[in-house]
Amino acid sequence: MKAILMLEDKTTFFGEAKNKGEIIGEIIFNTAVVGYQEILTDPANYGKILVLTYPLIGNYGCNYKFNESKKVWVKALVIKEMSRIYSNWQAELSLDEFADKEGLFILNNVDVRSLMVYLREKGSMYGIISTDEFREKVLINKIEEFKSRPKKSVLKEISIDKPKIFKGKNQTKIAILDLGITNSILTQLKNLGVTFTILPFNISSKDILKYNPAGIIISSGPEDDVGLKEVVGNVRDLIGTMPILGISTGCQVLALSKGVKVRKMRLGHRGVNYPIKRPNSLQGEITVQNHSYVIDRDGLEKNNINITAFNLNDDTVEEIESKEYKFIGTQYLPLSGGFDEINPVLIRFIQLIERS
Amino acid sequence: MPKRKDIKKILMIGSGPIVIGQACEFDYSGSQACKSLREEGYFTILVNSNPATIMTDPHMADITYIEPLTVEMVTKIIEKERPDAILPTLGGQTGLNLAFFLMKEGILKKYGVESIGASVEAISCAEDRELFKKAMQEIGIKVPKSGIATSLEEGIRIGLNIGFPLILRPAYCLGGRGGAIAYNKEELAEFLVKGLEASPVKQVLVEQSVLGWKEIEFEVMRDCVDNVIIVTSMENVDPMGVHTGDSMVVAPSQTLTWEEYTNFVNLCKKIIRRVGITGGGVNIQFAQDPRNGEIVIIEVNPRLSRSSALASKATGFPIARVATKLAIGLTLQEVANQITGKTTSFFEPTVDYCVFKICRFTFEKFPKTERVLNTSMKAVGEAMSIGRNFREALQKGIRSIEIGRFGLGCDGKDKISDEMLKKPDSILLNLIKDKIRIPNDERIFYIRYGLKAGLSVEEIYELSKIDPWFIDNIKQLVELEEEIKKFKNSRNYNEINISVDLLRKAKQDGFSDRQLAYLLGCKEELIRSFRKKNKIKPVFKPVDTCAGEFFAERPYFYSTYESQEEARVPLNSKKVIILGGGPNRIGQGIEFDYCCCHAAYALKEESIESIMINCNPETVSTDYDTSTRLYFEPLTLEDILNIIDIEKPLGVIVQFGGQTPLNLAIPLYKSGVKLLGTTAENIDIAEDRERFKKILHKLELLQPPNDTAFTFSQAKKIAKKIGYPVLVRPSYVLGGRAMEIVYDEQTLEIFIKEAAEVSGEHPVLIDKFLEDATEVDVDLIGDGSTFVIGGIMEHIEYAGIHSGDSAMALPTYSLSSKVLEDIRRATYKLAEELNIVGLMNVQYAVKDNEVYVLEVNPRASRTIPFVSKAIGVPLAKLATKVMLGKKLKDLGFIKEIIPKHTAVKESVFPFNRFPGVDIILGPEMKSTGEVMGIDKDFSSAYIKSQIAGGQNLPKKGNVFISVRDEDKNKIAPIAKKLRDLGFNIFATSGTANVLEKSGIQVKILPKIAESRPNVLDLMKDGKIQLVINTPSGRIPRQDEVKIRSHVILYNIPYTTTIAGANATVKGIEVLLKDDLRVKPLQEYYKDLK
Repeated sequence: MKAILMLEDKTTFFGEAKNKGEIIGEIIFNTAVVGYQEILTDPANYGKILVLTYPLIGNYGCNYKFNESKKVWVKALVIKEMSRIYSNWQAELSLDEFADKEGLFILNNVDVRSLMVYLREKGSMYGIISTDEFREKVLINKIEEFKSRPKKSVLKEISIDKPKIFKGKNQTKIAILDLGITNSILTQLKNLGVTFTILPFNISSKDILKYNPAGIIISSGPEDDVGLKEVVGNVRDLIGTMPILGISTGCQVLALSKGVKVRKMRLGHRGVNYPIKRPNSLQGEITVQNHSYVIDRDGLEKNNINITAFNLNDDTVEEIESKEYKFIGTQYLPLSGGFDEINPVLIRFIQLIERS
Repeated sequence: MPKRKDIKKILMIGSGPIVIGQACEFDYSGSQACKSLREEGYFTILVNSNPATIMTDPHMADITYIEPLTVEMVTKIIEKERPDAILPTLGGQTGLNLAFFLMKEGILKKYGVESIGASVEAISCAEDRELFKKAMQEIGIKVPKSGIATSLEEGIRIGLNIGFPLILRPAYCLGGRGGAIAYNKEELAEFLVKGLEASPVKQVLVEQSVLGWKEIEFEVMRDCVDNVIIVTSMENVDPMGVHTGDSMVVAPSQTLTWEEYTNFVNLCKKIIRRVGITGGGVNIQFAQDPRNGEIVIIEVNPRLSRSSALASKATGFPIARVATKLAIGLTLQEVANQITGKTTSFFEPTVDYCVFKICRFTFEKFPKTERVLNTSMKAVGEAMSIGRNFREALQKGIRSIEIGRFGLGCDGKDKISDEMLKKPDSILLNLIKDKIRIPNDERIFYIRYGLKAGLSVEEIYELSKIDPWFIDNIKQLVELEEEIKKFKNSRNYNEINISVDLLRKAKQDGFSDRQLAYLLGCKEELIRSFRKKNKIKPVFKPVDTCAGEFFAERPYFYSTYESQEEARVPLNSKKVIILGGGPNRIGQGIEFDYCCCHAAYALKEESIESIMINCNPETVSTDYDTSTRLYFEPLTLEDILNIIDIEKPLGVIVQFGGQTPLNLAIPLYKSGVKLLGTTAENIDIAEDRERFKKILHKLELLQPPNDTAFTFSQAKKIAKKIGYPVLVRPSYVLGGRAMEIVYDEQTLEIFIKEAAEVSGEHPVLIDKFLEDATEVDVDLIGDGSTFVIGGIMEHIEYAGIHSGDSAMALPTYSLSSKVLEDIRRATYKLAEELNIVGLMNVQYAVKDNEVYVLEVNPRASRTIPFVSKAIGVPLAKLATKVMLGKKLKDLGFIKEIIPKHTAVKESVFPFNRFPGVDIILGPEMKSTGEVMGIDKDFSSAYIKSQIAGGQNLPKKGNVFISVRDEDKNKIAPIAKKLRDLGFNIFATSGTANVLEKSGIQVKILPKIAESRPNVLDLMKDGKIQLVINTPSGRIPRQDEVKIRSHVILYNIPYTTTIAGANATVKGIEVLLKDDLRVKPLQEYYKDLK
């Protein structure tokens, strides 16, 4: 059936939906060609309306083993064309079937290129998708109402409710603050052989120390969640006591806990082709990113926190490190470079633990 | 890292003539490289034997050599120029091999030349099968089970160990030349012999077959500080078993998961590091088992390749430019991305469209060869199309290759009708299944037939191993076609009953107006006006490297049926559209792209925006910075009008892209488009036989007696009247398609039929054939009042051989001054009469001192780049300015230049790709490319052209001569000269008798069937160094064909005409007397002034 996507500035796009529905949320995009299932199941995308710029989606189907977490967190997926069939030896079900099972709303047949270009010009926005209501005034009111609702933390919904231990062959013990940890990080830790405990996001610093970890990873997760304040408070107590790695939102938590501000970018970095560079070096990496917020550079400099990588396109902070506070933070996602390869940042973090 | 300061002079090697497997993509990469090097301030020396390239334009490099690409000649250049470095990675396999052999022979070391871009070690690692296999195993990458054979016995042993089917790949060979699939021991032995011959290092890889696996390619780049990027992935629609150069390809890959993609990237990085590229790019080909994901590596090309040209055009990422910058020590971060204008080259392009590549084949030119595709490349060209889905891209791609189709079927040209497919009998069904199972150039159409005949996606997958995802997309097209057909008009042809929504959907899936008109039973124009009325118009979307994330400064565009227009058309600027030549094919290739590029350069000089329309990803014309705006679109009336609608240009240039745009001239004119230069009316006079005849009569110019016929009985009468032999040909065709010389009525019937088929609604032309006439080509430029001859070229072969296949010399070498004056007078008369504004080409035949006009083409000819290079005047550029209203006087070109030096153009043939095809020349063009030899006199220039064309002419040894009766009296002086030069002459009895009578010592060889050793044995044993063999007649004797096929198999220099033999012998004389010298174009031009 016909469905509308209206942006908060009244701009409209049309598409088709299989199911009835009304979805309101912040619109984010991703420019990756593959990886739809991974993006949908990344808790960092909680509640978002996800637009994929690549027009042909669902070609290789889905397989639950590709989930980044237990479920889909994205509210609605906006695409150009849903593949009618899927073709890959690993596929268990189609993206369409997967979406039905996961309660994911799909808005198909949208000129996503034009939508992307519009967002690029205007900055990120909220939007509403509806299959029943097409009146502008009503839709805009709904967006306004949604935006004015008191902010509620979703971390509780995402995070593990009680600690869970994975025993590795290695004695090094790591605690993970679960703001939305993804399997692609966990798999690498397993391959490293470390023993780790996944902890609820709001666990107090005292309780963390009870697990006697040699290092802490603060995971990625939703960026502008009100619950992060509590996390920042807990982390602040631990900084300097042991090596900490902050990933994406976790990285922002590290900065916030040292009083450094974060700000929202016009559009965000969401894709698999973001180059980062080291200061005074011509070496860099192509990274996977999924964030809308960046850390304030001046604040970092004032606090003697080193910026160890910039985004080559817009000079924003992508990696920080402090010897004094024993932490490393990455705005990008330190994913595996294929097969059993471990991202260099995770190796650096483990070495930091072993040294201290 | 700053660029290297320890090197100042860099030698670049081009890729030589266009051959199958190596086309204009290397002009594209070489030109980009030249520009990049000079941008950085390096002194650039270029060598290439192909004059039809932009890279050999005298301003592209500091010093330009058009010389044969041999170790000997390049050594001379190195000796003279003393470069610090050689950049071998942009000249295809030819350039790479040449650098490798320069290294092997110690030349690089001797003169202290460093190989940049790819070190000699890196080249060896990727190209030497044994080293490569070891290297891959070292980094844990699986290679197909294989072994290297250096002899027949060894190859058979390895093959039997692995088991059939087997893939054979000769080492250091271009485009899979000599590659084959063997299913049994007999085939294995046969292909091993061929492969060992084909490989310059006599090595063949005998490999486990991975037939039917997915073929996945990646373009990868690495800089000197170890940054690695993936430019794009590509997925071959045709699975393993079809050479990637022949496959349909999509970019990016469509059926890989995130995990698989990441794993491939992982392997790519390992490979580029292990091979040791420290400043450049590689193309990596993998095979993946679709049943379990198992990956094996097939090949690594440590250089720019056809695939990298495609990857560049598909993503907007200029791989050649970046590779060059990396070769001189810059890092990816230091090279700006000129498309976005914001980012650097250290990023990975991402796309928001589907790119489709499809190949152009010319099996019709070689009717004796089997119409199948395998691991040896056969395509002569390709087109790239872009759509928002695969179906749109596929249909645009089929339109783009200009095989007379307007999409995937339902355009009135299907070989099998819907009625037959509704109830297919078992014969038809088996035919369809075979055509789907055995790869061939029409397979995609047969998949459609198969679906219509009721085969399932699964069945077609089982037959073809083409991924079901692609097949299902084709099925969607078939379903949509059926849906549209329901609205077909039954009586009234002026109605459209289809709903706007369905029509829009059809357009989004790439259906052309022509297809829709056929399906709906109305005229194409009606569909167009209906669409416009209902606002179903395409919008243009950019190729911006970043999927819209950044506003791109310099994108190029493709059409699609989406909602928002993104083309940025300035309202008040002056602009001109240039129609390109589309995919390369025999008869229309790089020469025309060269002209189109010059048109763009000229427009820039005149401060007019140039709008290029073309769909050939190999070309310089589709480079992002050649024109002001580039539209990557098929060259059909519909697609062009769409662009004209939004651009509203001053006019359109149709003279430069060859026959493709010229054929569109009249329809465009009728649609109200202004053509620049010679008027549509005058184009029509030149193209229309009857009108043209009248003009010639009026101008009192001679023409061989001729007439036109629609039927065989008409033709019979005409032929009788004008007398045999006659030349039969269709009207409005390219490259002498279906052109034949006919000696009797019986053969006339056969060829009239064929010609009528090609000619369509136009009549067949019948000309008196002038035997033993000398053919002459003239190129002229005119501004409507002043006309200047660019060059008069004398053909070496006699009339009857297509001008595109003849060797020719500028200036002429045997014509009398009276004949030349007659030719000039005739040319100027014609130009005045047709009021030429731009270029014109006239072909003449000279017989008994009379000059006959054969044809006039009111457009840029194939010889324009050759003439421009020979006389040092950019004719195409001047012609563009003239079309804009400038006068030749103001441009300073008012007098024909007759150079003191001689330039000889020689053609290069693809015979080695088409086993079983006879190599004799005729009126149908067969060559794919050309080379130029330039020197102080005819003989030296001729010999250079032969060497450049791959004829390794001997200085001593044995010559085998066998000529037809008509030539026997002409062969004696040639044979005598060869004896005098110290050669031994071998002949069979007939020719030997004649020679002995003239007192020439001959060794008589038995006829092939009679006894052994015969000439074939001698050829196999390497005891024949030159073959002179003129064909006995239309249907050649078996002996001759065998001799000529051995010539190709064993790469023995040969000539099949007396004129060619004469020139060859003269050339050998020069070779023996004097060493060939090298001299750059710039110096020749100084002497002209």
